[in-house]
Amino acid sequence: MQLYARRRLTNWLVIGLSVLATGFGLLWLVLVLSTLLINGIGAIGPSLFTEMTPPPGSSGGLLNAIAGSLAMTAIATLVGTPTGILAGTFLAEYSRGSRFGEVVRFVNDILLSAPSIIIGLFVYEAMVVRMGHFSAWAGAMALAIITVPVVVRTTEDMLRLVPTALREAAAALGAPKWKVIVMVTYRAAAQGMMTGMLLAVARISGETAPLLFTALNNQFWSSDLNGPMANLPVVIFQFAMSPYADWQVLAWGGALLITATILVLNITARVLAAWSSFKQ
Amino acid sequence: MTSPVARPLASAPDAPDRSSPLDAPSPQARRPLSTALAQRVPAPEEATAMAIPADKVEMRNISFFYGKFQALHNISLPLYDRRVTAFIGPSGCGKSTLLRILNRIYELYPGQVATGEVYLDGTNILAPGLDLNWLRAKIGMVFQKPTPFPMSIYDNIAFGIRLYERLPRSELDDRVESALRRAALWDEVKDKLRQSGLSLSGGQQQRLCIARAIAVEPEILLLDEPASALDPLSTQRIEELIAELKVDYCIAMVTHNMQQAARSSDYTAFLYLGELVEFDETERIFTHPKVRHTEDYITGRFG
Amino acid sequence: MSAARHGAFGDMAFHTLTFVFALLVLVVLGGVILSLISGALPALEHFGFGFLVAEAWNPVTEKFGALAPIYGTLVTSAIAMLIGIPVAFGVALFITELCPNWLKRPLSTMIELLAAIPSIIYGIWGLFVLAPFVQEHIEPFLIGTLGAVPGIGMLFAGPPLGIGVLTAGFILAVMVLPFISSIMRDVFETVPAVLRESTYALGATTAEVVWQVVLPYARVGVFGGILLGLGRALGETMAVTFVIGNSHHIHVSILQPGTTISAALANEFTEAVGDLYLSSLIALGLILFVITFIVLALAKLLLIRLERQAGG
Repeated sequence: MQLYARRRLTNWLVIGLSVLATGFGLLWLVLVLSTLLINGIGAIGPSLFTEMTPPPGSSGGLLNAIAGSLAMTAIATLVGTPTGILAGTFLAEYSRGSRFGEVVRFVNDILLSAPSIIIGLFVYEAMVVRMGHFSAWAGAMALAIITVPVVVRTTEDMLRLVPTALREAAAALGAPKWKVIVMVTYRAAAQGMMTGMLLAVARISGETAPLLFTALNNQFWSSDLNGPMANLPVVIFQFAMSPYADWQVLAWGGALLITATILVLNITARVLAAWSSFKQ
Repeated sequence: MTSPVARPLASAPDAPDRSSPLDAPSPQARRPLSTALAQRVPAPEEATAMAIPADKVEMRNISFFYGKFQALHNISLPLYDRRVTAFIGPSGCGKSTLLRILNRIYELYPGQVATGEVYLDGTNILAPGLDLNWLRAKIGMVFQKPTPFPMSIYDNIAFGIRLYERLPRSELDDRVESALRRAALWDEVKDKLRQSGLSLSGGQQQRLCIARAIAVEPEILLLDEPASALDPLSTQRIEELIAELKVDYCIAMVTHNMQQAARSSDYTAFLYLGELVEFDETERIFTHPKVRHTEDYITGRFG
Repeated sequence: MSAARHGAFGDMAFHTLTFVFALLVLVVLGGVILSLISGALPALEHFGFGFLVAEAWNPVTEKFGALAPIYGTLVTSAIAMLIGIPVAFGVALFITELCPNWLKRPLSTMIELLAAIPSIIYGIWGLFVLAPFVQEHIEPFLIGTLGAVPGIGMLFAGPPLGIGVLTAGFILAVMVLPFISSIMRDVFETVPAVLRESTYALGATTAEVVWQVVLPYARVGVFGGILLGLGRALGETMAVTFVIGNSHHIHVSILQPGTTISAALANEFTEAVGDLYLSSLIALGLILFVITFIVLALAKLLLIRLERQAGG
């Protein structure tokens, strides 16, 4: 009986600990999001979106940072998504069992989890040093390099889910392989690939490290992609670490903005994924 | 020679064949096949069509390899124009493999090799330099599971046509309508051509796939167990459709369902473990099979 | 027939196109390695292997050593793993075995949202919320209790600053927890239901089923997931930068500030003057890259082996 009691005790202990662990995880989510909301909501207002980043001690907004982030994210997505889709297509459609495909997949997954600051260093050496100055192009490139592995992964996974019978049916009609892929397989996997793109955008929206030594930062409005450009994450970094209260408030506001965007993107991606699997 | 007009509704629903060769034969298998023969759906002009059949396809010394494994051994048989030829046999006997040689769809997969010759109207279609697009325009295929493309019904049908021809819109509309009519689907979808092909029921999707295949105006139709994923009512409609279609096409059909073979086909090839055991007119195979093995299979002693 | 020629050309073109872009992935990796090595070479040549074990970091005298950043990287990651692995395990256990079905989806989504929150958010939250809290409540408690224990007391010594190695390690734990937990969950779910059911049928408790059947079955995947979490912890930048205190000294006590490779890079790179300074920083980057590459490659190899096991 003693053994039985001990087993039961262990069981309750383990169950209790796992409940605690789950609560622990949820607690931090709630804490982080709520402090973000509390501290950031004060900064949300029209001025956030209409005024530029101010010098210390004055009030202002984040317009140039928001615009810069939007611009670099857009360029990175435009460059990274087709690259990722094509590479992922190669892995799914042309590399069954080939050594080369395995190596690419392996390397891709490593790049997926690699420290983003290293990517920043790479682009610094490859572009900033060569061009002689920081630039939004370099920042966008660094973000694009982070986008590619995410898109490659989701593209390959989604394409592999398309049933072979569908490809055979198109081939049996006489369609050449590239038409089968582009006109049938892509369409069948379209929603999944869109989800992948949304997740990639969410990921790069919050990336700071790769922008630190590529796009740097800019106190003023700049539409010159060839020079340093303001962006939300680096501005938040600079303002939060500073001793100025005005700057800190703006940092919280920017943090809230980024987090809200990312959550919306994530939820949209999930809804899209659930909706497409529901349709089938 | 006229055939009786009995509709096959009286027969018991055909359960999908999941039995292994070692399972006890299902009760249906024991019913006299004369009943199944008697239930053949008549084609509209069967009387005149029963003239001497023309050779459309001749398969000679066909062997097939999945890597090192030989799945088909030296098979030779003809496919006659405007007739339905059924390939029957237990699971794994190679009937689908044989069918897939005809449009060389196996070439999508490295390591799968066919040897021998297949003459289509005198041309060896297994020859290396052959234009596969030409071949696949002449030979249409319908698969076991309905595979509508993720596009509108209209675009599904137009897909194949657009591969080969640039037609003005009105002509394309006519071709799409004609294909859907011949597949007995037009009335059901004429008002919803823009809807997705996936919105149709299983039986309708399969008829969509048939319409898609015949839209490119092939001469031969390959049907790989076209009704096995469908309910009995849809199965019946597909069989009626096949009877109508055979007037215009040479049809090769794989089926695991012997009643279906008896009902729908003119010629039957019985395969076992990759070998052609017997090939003959359907009526003769099911009433007086020449080979003992065939008789065993047909009477349900195995399979 | 022209259609065939169109088809053949299109096929070759498309195949080549996708091949080139797949090759690009390898080119990026190659580029990263090459640029890191070329940038780090001056410092490595100048300091030799001593670079790895020297603690000094003095831009004025141009003496640089990687010991403090490496130490900080390893210690913060170790703390992150010590806290993160059991918690992730608890979460995975809860979701797969104990959670009612209607709760599974929303709960796992919420845990995954932890992973979606960017590093910088954790950073400023850590600096403004967690660090003061730790300074006022946690650290005095630790110093008072564990700090007095002989032997390990040195680990918990020193004035309570709030920021430091422990806080950084803790935030890292929260950040890697969703990654490890999600892989653990996937792997737990590959355990065949019959296996679990038959163990329950024998009268085993939930704890016993998980510990003695599920975990051993899934151990390859679990270990792969842990390595993946470690890889992420090693490379995390912004969150750590905010709370680690940025001190190039090695302290025994984890309540003291320190630095990690990525934090050093984030803080100092844009202000580094002098080629040797810059090159030393890039050398740090190279070291980080090598460490994370090895860990991530190991994780990937384990997970590949797991797939093969599951498939075969």
